[in-house]
Amino acid sequence: MLTRDELERYDRQIMIMGVGEEGQEKLKKAKVFIAGAGGLGSVTPTYLAAAGVGVIRVVDHDRVELSNLNRQVLHWDEDIGKKKVDSAVEKLKRLNLRVKVEAIEEMITEVNISQLVDGFDLIVDAMDNLPARYLLNKVAIERNIPFFHGAVHGFEGRAMTIIPGETACLRCIYRGAIIEGKFPVIGVTPGVIGCIQATEVIKYIVGIGELLTNRLLIYDGLNMKFTEFKAKKDPYCEHCAQVSKGQDKK
Amino acid sequence: MSIEVNIHRSLRHLTRGKAKVEVNGNTVGHCLYGLVKQFPGIETKLFDKKGKLLNYIDIYVNAESSYPEELSKPVNDGDELSITLIIGGG
Repeated sequence: MLTRDELERYDRQIMIMGVGEEGQEKLKKAKVFIAGAGGLGSVTPTYLAAAGVGVIRVVDHDRVELSNLNRQVLHWDEDIGKKKVDSAVEKLKRLNLRVKVEAIEEMITEVNISQLVDGFDLIVDAMDNLPARYLLNKVAIERNIPFFHGAVHGFEGRAMTIIPGETACLRCIYRGAIIEGKFPVIGVTPGVIGCIQATEVIKYIVGIGELLTNRLLIYDGLNMKFTEFKAKKDPYCEHCAQVSKGQDKK
Repeated sequence: MSIEVNIHRSLRHLTRGKAKVEVNGNTVGHCLYGLVKQFPGIETKLFDKKGKLLNYIDIYVNAESSYPEELSKPVNDGDELSITLIIGGG
């Protein structure tokens, strides 16, 4: 049940056809896991908190550095040296005190990932490396939790939504590890991709629109062009081949 | 068969700035070898020493993922092949 205060705060989105009070209540009940509090992990939870998602858990093990501030917009000069999760959660709580925001300072590993996502309805990929993304993809498939992929590099970004057992997953389209390290990026790129991820999350929770499934969206900021590529479920995928549609949600 | 290859921005310095290159071939592999023949500098950006596609190379045929076994995927006259790079930043 929405309070009078919530009805007023979310009035403009409740007006959207297909959202309504029912959709807003779904957002209020939703629990979203955000893996990473960097560039993407600054943008996605900001818009989810503003939209009234009930519980947001942010996990990251880094501390804020000066060189983060061109893109990680939840962290400010005064936060340098602080844990990123603390800095992020403080801002998100100030943005919307009606939302429960949890900070977990841990590195996501094969050992702890299942426990970290336990009880959450959706997983947002805001990581900065592919091996961690594969871990998230795998646990999302195993636990039957929708997974919202995003990645950035320079002025380019990608996004895809994965519904376990139904759609192509990250491992269906990606071959393996890639050499990574310090990558170039400008803040507007995670801004665009993080907003796409947040849009997908909101649509999934409310149950409206057409999700970015079986479609990899590539954003080219320099040409200001969005290109969509079809992604197919790989019948031999090492993460999702054994998972059938309609599996029981844990 | 004539195939148009879209070159990712980060590889265009190896194709004399060309964003699109015409090649001939019956498979994705043939097309990429044709591309390397025209622009030898691109070879090490696409393949490892054993001739395997590098992990970060992502190939689409007519906007459809060609993974896995990309190199043996057949192509037809007029098809469009896109080379993109898998990115991992966040």
